[in-house]
Amino acid sequence: MNTAASTAVSPAQQRGVLKRILRLFASQEAVLLLALVALFVIVGSINSRFIAERNLYSIFLGNAYIAVAAIGMSMVIISGNIDISVGSLIGVLATISGSMAVAGYPLVLCWLVPVLAGVLISSFTGYIVAYLKIPSIVVSLGMLSILKGGLIAVTSGEWITDLPEGYALAQLKPLGVPLPIIFMIVLTILAALWMRFSNTGRAIYAVGGNAEAARLSGISKQRTIMKVFAIHGGFIGIAAVLFATQLSVIQSTVPPNLELTIITASVVGGVSILGGTGTVVGSTLAAILLAAIGSSLIFVSVSPYWLRSVQGVLILLTVLADLYRRKRQRKQGSG
Amino acid sequence: MTDGRALLELSNIVKRFPGVLALDRVSFDVRAGEVHALLGENGAGKSTLIKIISGVYQPDEGHINFSGNTVRFNTPAAAQNNGIATIYQELLLYPELSVAENIFMGHAPKTRFGTIDWRAMRSLAREQLASLDIYDLDVNQQVGSLSVGNRQRVEIAKALSQDARVLIMDEPTAALTGADVERLFRIVRLLRERGVGVIYISHRLEEIFELADRVTVLRDGACVGTSQVIDTTEDDLINRMVGRTIEDLYPKQLSRIGEPVLEIESLSRPPLTRNVSLTLRRGEILGLAGLVGSGRSELAQTLFGITPAQSGCIKVNGVECLIDSPAAAIKLGIAYVPEDRSTQGLIKPMSIRENISMAVLKEISNGNLINHLAERELAQKNINQFRIRTSGMEQKVEKLSGGNQQKVVLGKWMASAPDVLIMDEPTRGIDVGAKAEIHRTMSELACRGMAVLMISSELPEIMGMSDTIAVMREGRLVASFTRGDATQEQIAAAMMSGSRSESDEGLVDSNSTKGAAA
Amino acid sequence: MSRVAPTVSRMPSVLSTARRLALSHEGVLLIILMVSLLVLATQTDRFLTTDNLLNQCRLMAEVGLVALPMTYIIITGGIDLSVGSILGLCAIVLGVAWKNYGLPLEFAIVLCLVTGAAAGAVNGYFITRVGVPPLIMTLATLALYRGFAEGVSQSRSVRGYPEWFYQFGQGELFGIPTQLWFLIAALLISAFVLSRTVFGRALYAIGHNETGARFSGLAVDRYKMLIYTFSGFMAGLASFVFVSRVSTTRSDMGTGLELDVIAAVVLGGTSIFGGTGTIIGTALGVVLIQLLKNGLALTGVKGDATIMVIGVVLICSILITNFARSRQATEKPGD
Repeated sequence: MNTAASTAVSPAQQRGVLKRILRLFASQEAVLLLALVALFVIVGSINSRFIAERNLYSIFLGNAYIAVAAIGMSMVIISGNIDISVGSLIGVLATISGSMAVAGYPLVLCWLVPVLAGVLISSFTGYIVAYLKIPSIVVSLGMLSILKGGLIAVTSGEWITDLPEGYALAQLKPLGVPLPIIFMIVLTILAALWMRFSNTGRAIYAVGGNAEAARLSGISKQRTIMKVFAIHGGFIGIAAVLFATQLSVIQSTVPPNLELTIITASVVGGVSILGGTGTVVGSTLAAILLAAIGSSLIFVSVSPYWLRSVQGVLILLTVLADLYRRKRQRKQGSG
Repeated sequence: MTDGRALLELSNIVKRFPGVLALDRVSFDVRAGEVHALLGENGAGKSTLIKIISGVYQPDEGHINFSGNTVRFNTPAAAQNNGIATIYQELLLYPELSVAENIFMGHAPKTRFGTIDWRAMRSLAREQLASLDIYDLDVNQQVGSLSVGNRQRVEIAKALSQDARVLIMDEPTAALTGADVERLFRIVRLLRERGVGVIYISHRLEEIFELADRVTVLRDGACVGTSQVIDTTEDDLINRMVGRTIEDLYPKQLSRIGEPVLEIESLSRPPLTRNVSLTLRRGEILGLAGLVGSGRSELAQTLFGITPAQSGCIKVNGVECLIDSPAAAIKLGIAYVPEDRSTQGLIKPMSIRENISMAVLKEISNGNLINHLAERELAQKNINQFRIRTSGMEQKVEKLSGGNQQKVVLGKWMASAPDVLIMDEPTRGIDVGAKAEIHRTMSELACRGMAVLMISSELPEIMGMSDTIAVMREGRLVASFTRGDATQEQIAAAMMSGSRSESDEGLVDSNSTKGAAA
Repeated sequence: MSRVAPTVSRMPSVLSTARRLALSHEGVLLIILMVSLLVLATQTDRFLTTDNLLNQCRLMAEVGLVALPMTYIIITGGIDLSVGSILGLCAIVLGVAWKNYGLPLEFAIVLCLVTGAAAGAVNGYFITRVGVPPLIMTLATLALYRGFAEGVSQSRSVRGYPEWFYQFGQGELFGIPTQLWFLIAALLISAFVLSRTVFGRALYAIGHNETGARFSGLAVDRYKMLIYTFSGFMAGLASFVFVSRVSTTRSDMGTGLELDVIAAVVLGGTSIFGGTGTIIGTALGVVLIQLLKNGLALTGVKGDATIMVIGVVLICSILITNFARSRQATEKPGD
């Protein structure tokens, strides 16, 4: 036993490197990236307008806010919770931002206040979930009604127009790249690094993976969940500003089912609804993939009305693949 | 290596739970460089004691002295920071995360910028494993894909990653096979050499004699005594644990053994049920011994239709039949009192009445309509018959003691009037008095002609209650004995020996299964 | 737990029963319902009239019909997010089968109900046989079925149904809206089945402890299959009533219905963790939500803003019940 072990060191390590490369390719992120590339190549060869710069821009630009929101959502789901109020929250925060701009507040405030408000509102949700111990699905269902109803009560469903010059943050192009795309990429990288290299980041995985073990490792479940919701609120705030500054009007009716689109991005990105696993890189890739698929339907002459079916099938495929992976792992574990 | 002075000392610890005095002025100490075994029946207070040491519970009275200072651990983290590490019965790992990360969760090494240093973490994890003579684990591997034995080694490395001076191990061998047990023992001895004080909890007396320096016995929340292991004998320890002798404990009546009720031939469902054949007769109690993980519960669950067999043949009362669901098994007169009362045996938030009628509700109902009168009569009959101590049949089962809960499970299955009763660890977690009652009931049922298949990890129970003893190892039946023929040593040897039988499938099995069938 | 000796507990049983009822979730709801009725009635005299109340019954029929099977599902610890999409799909099947394929309307109605049941059965199949978590499975079919509805209809609406068809959604029977008869019948049957039959008992057992139920010989998978199919069927029935009420078929019908339904069920005291809940509670939840919406609208709150109150009531009612339960459970022994 002992001799076998000591001679096995280097092969084991070699195997480790090989395994790591294989694992990289088997990861959800790699699968998504491959799917994305394949989609661009195949649809692009059928109809080259699909990969024209204008279309690519519109795919990335129009959906950057979904990817940013999905970062926060992924954290929430990894911690073993869910937030179905994000759609309404984005609507509320976008309206706050727009109203402030129209009222003539300094533009910087119009961009920052919604983010702070997002942190505050989401922290409130987090407080009820973490400390009053009501399941997040119920709390966020309640918050959804409150926010959506509140929004309509205040705006009477009217659109915000006459936004001041310079407010359209999303129209800026530093270094020739539209700002939302920069936001999406930078925030994804920052969040990914934070999730991997900070104590709190790892604690999110611990709490979502095995709450009892986390408690015995000295990790406070309540505080971690509270933090996750606060940070999630920040991302939702940024997403709301990107959403609000995209067009010249702000609709007070949020795109219907926005929360489900965001959750779908997280799930297709490889975040397990049972908590404890997933990455924000995956969710961003998935958000882009979903948007690209939606856009591609037109270019291959399929009615865009089939888009949601495709999304549904994608979720199913992701989950079935995940179930299969777990089953195989269990077999290995017991063998 | 033992310097004689206590590293950790608990004096006169009292812990009360509503309605229960869990610990009654217990004193206990562990020295640097010794393995101190903690022994006691389930419910004797061992778990409460270690939870107090590890900061999960706080004592109501008494104090804890750690390396010369009086301390109070308010949280598990506080105890860990002081160098007290605990390995719990249920492994507390993150299956989705890597080995390295599991080892360092909560105290990962940092870079200068305060971020987690993954490179250092991996190399430290490798060092940590190497210091335990573990070279065959990849620190990048996901813990979920490891075997139970390897997961436990990760758990030990995790516990020791914070310079532990006291290590508490709560039944570490419960889920291990022979080879893994040996590896574990090597690690424990290694730690003793290094001056770590090890508190070792186990039900297996032979392990204590093999490993421990001192042993403390707890009974009903009180300390019955501490002694050097070399000064004591197994009988002595058993007597102290239970406070009475084996004959009093196992009131086995002789019953007339009749015709076969359940015959199984070459039953297989890999990986843990392989080519098993045995015969169970009317009036017989067949004790199934084996280590945890040897496939005993899996066999029982295959017979009960939870994990249907993939090949082989089952005959009930001479008729070959297919058991593909628990409902099918119940219809054939098979009942299963499972090992895990909380999740498998009972629906704890529901009432006694609802639990007792659970398996036969359709039978006592008018079609799909519940007959509440019949249900109440049934519940009352069982409460009386099994002497379930309760304020009424509407009491929630979760409010009952372990013994009374087990009687509800028994009552539930007796309501289905089975021919074959499978009992999986029937007395685990039950106090001594209730244990004797369960044993008496079991014996009475056999006398009335029921065939009982009893799975137990407690050898005295197996030897005290069984007419026939069969031993399983790695999914196969490997030996069988008739009552009075076997000694504890022989059974234990059959359970553990031949650490891994690789090629000798046919020979050993055909012999032993014949023995079991005879 | 041993405070109350058996002989003593008989004596004040009437009193304690009354107290338990008042403290039960249904009791709390009933009190809230009474208070809001009184308050709303004093605010406007258009509220407490037979005409208005009957009209409200018409409006809550669809949510009510779908809330019944949802109660079953949540009692087992599951959830069905796809009901709104099933409703949309069934409505489209009804319209398209009749208009585009020229089938007799009676036959189209049957086809609509069958489609609903089949859509629910697909959910049930994947949840029980493949082991996909209900939340994810029905999230996927939420997208999938809505996609089918949009794809099949190409988002075109169907109108011009014959006069007799409107009888179900707009007509009356013995002075009471037709769909209210459906709802009352379904409610009585559902309540009876849940509280009096082996099937109902099994649902509670599954919700409390699925493994335990399985080990007791209950046909867990079959029961779960049944309730998800039932859920789809009721969504089909609701779609038929809905189409009849609004005289038209559109593919976006029932968007967001799942949240209204879940809110009503959870408000009605069904625990999202499973194991507890009653049909009476759900009925109270549905009624309370509809009356609050209506009453607020009549007192001048604008449109959908009324849903704000639902969120507040939802969170508060659960907080109150949780608080009451934790006070009662102080005597729980430490394991």
